[in-house]
Amino acid sequence: MRTAPTAAISLRGIHKSYGKNIALDGLDLDVAEGEFFCLLGPSGAGKTTTLKTVAGLEEPRAGTVSLDGTDMTGVEPYDRGVAMCFESYALYPHRSAYDNLASPLRSPRYKLPAAEARERVGAVADLLGIGALLERPVGRLSNGQRQRVALGRVLVRPARAFLLDEPLSHLDAKLRQAMRAELKAIGAVRRTTTLYVTHDSVEALALGDRIGVIREGRIVQTGTREEIWHQPYDTFVARSFGRPRINLLPGTVTADGAFMSADRFFEIPLTSPAAPPVRSVAPGTAVQIGVRPRDLSLGSPALGPGAIELVGSVYITEVLGRATEVTVRLGGQHLSLVVPRADAAGLRPDTPVRLTVRPESLLLFAADDAEGRPGRRITE
Amino acid sequence: MKRGVRGKLIAVAADGALILYFVFALFPIAWMIILSLKPANELFSTYFSFTPTLDSYQTVLGAGSDEGVPFLRFFVNSLVVSLGAVGLSLVIGLPAAYAAARWRFRGSENLMFTLLSFRFAPELTVIIPLFVLYQQLGLFDTYLGMIWVLQLVTLPLIVWIMRSYFSDLSPELEQAALLDGYTRKQAFFKVALPLVKPGIAAVSLLAFIFAWNNFVFPLILTSSEAQTVTVGALSFLGGDRPKYNLTAAAALVSVIPPLLLALTIQRYLVRGLSFGAVKS
Repeated sequence: MRTAPTAAISLRGIHKSYGKNIALDGLDLDVAEGEFFCLLGPSGAGKTTTLKTVAGLEEPRAGTVSLDGTDMTGVEPYDRGVAMCFESYALYPHRSAYDNLASPLRSPRYKLPAAEARERVGAVADLLGIGALLERPVGRLSNGQRQRVALGRVLVRPARAFLLDEPLSHLDAKLRQAMRAELKAIGAVRRTTTLYVTHDSVEALALGDRIGVIREGRIVQTGTREEIWHQPYDTFVARSFGRPRINLLPGTVTADGAFMSADRFFEIPLTSPAAPPVRSVAPGTAVQIGVRPRDLSLGSPALGPGAIELVGSVYITEVLGRATEVTVRLGGQHLSLVVPRADAAGLRPDTPVRLTVRPESLLLFAADDAEGRPGRRITE
Repeated sequence: MKRGVRGKLIAVAADGALILYFVFALFPIAWMIILSLKPANELFSTYFSFTPTLDSYQTVLGAGSDEGVPFLRFFVNSLVVSLGAVGLSLVIGLPAAYAAARWRFRGSENLMFTLLSFRFAPELTVIIPLFVLYQQLGLFDTYLGMIWVLQLVTLPLIVWIMRSYFSDLSPELEQAALLDGYTRKQAFFKVALPLVKPGIAAVSLLAFIFAWNNFVFPLILTSSEAQTVTVGALSFLGGDRPKYNLTAAAALVSVIPPLLLALTIQRYLVRGLSFGAVKS
């Protein structure tokens, strides 16, 4: 793994617990200068705690936080020079939108002369389209407007890094999509190191220069969207991205190096010339084979020679707009795939179908262990 | 239909019960007003027909020209002592309540419980040693002594109630202030404190009433200099014959400050806390 000489944000072995609950369990994270880094994970994985640890609002039990290579242990939040947008927005309810935006510019640390501050607030408000709302108390703003005020309070002053905690999660779908596009277009966000927390994989893929996946207080994998998508570290990462979810079928490795489904209904060769080489896996090892719904197609010809064929029958079809999600039964397993709507036109439950998949889009994982820990990927 | 009639009956019965309760609750006050308006010579008659007179009020407010009871002085004493006690409790209690709400430190719960125990221990249990202490320290019959001892009444109240107000406040508001570049002290004064204003108003009023109404401490720990209205009103009962009319007038006059205070801060009492602060 390549690390920048001095990461803008660097966390090393962070441990944090609340009573008996372990929030962060030896978390390591590096965010490069100017990078937009998305931290993705389910709720309770430690995302917000990570942000607050960087900001100095939470003190880790062990581990170090460095900003631009400087150890931040014992440095107060107001001296760290980071700006944070809280998931709850944390706007000052007794003040107007203007006063909320101007708050950093009136503080001892970022103080600007009143006229300059007014100009700066006006510019940020116009950028976010809330110029007309400045005099209103924040209690009378809609959720979307409050979110913009919260974001504005982050953008209004210079910061070493932006920490954004699910800033879009409470907006309705349409607004969220619009804001997602706008967010990256904002110059300040483009230039400033940003650590962005989300539980929405689409958001992470759309925004992140790099993505980190967090689970139970540890980073499982960091990488570009391509790395995360094509080389997921384990089944947890694979499952975190893509809707419908990746198909994971349990089975074993046979003596001649093929995959045999758990109910011995079908076999997939793993050693074809086109398939990625498999790390030495002993025959009989319990594994899972992963294939993304959009990598599967109906019928044979499209994918050309070398494609793997599977035969099953239609279980259910679901129209998703232009595409259709088809769930196919392969013995005891269900496999979902997404095909153009026209291709799925004649399909009824129990229609026999032939599925094809390029061998290189198959992912092989170890079986999830007895405690439910996700299996690691074993294809290179 | 049947239910309608029954519902009406229940409503009437409820109204009747309420009226009965009001009569019961307000009767002493009505009786006091009547007493205070009676001329001294008709004091012990039980007729309701008498010529109302403001003589009692004149005597009470006339600084005891005739009775030798400096009631106005007691009144001022009460104001100084009660306001002083509430003020001191706010200065000490608000930061304490904030700390107790935000941080759990070693012994914090024990400390809070100890504070609360001042409220449920009867004042009489500590009054004798306090009397001796006050005599020796020169705090007996002084404003400082009274304000100090009233902390037993006002401080626990303010700390406990304000703690719950601060707990209801999202800590993220102060965290946002820290990241905006404010120090912890500024975050407290600029963000947390303004948001609990309604709470401060309510608890100050409550504490003021408790301090104002306190009887045992001024009874034992003051004699003339720092005596308050609660004890002072009783002075009219001494002497050759009890002057209930004067005591009643004094008591009614001493209701005025808490009443005025309650009316002025009424709007704070009903206003909700931090509406729209944090969506949840």
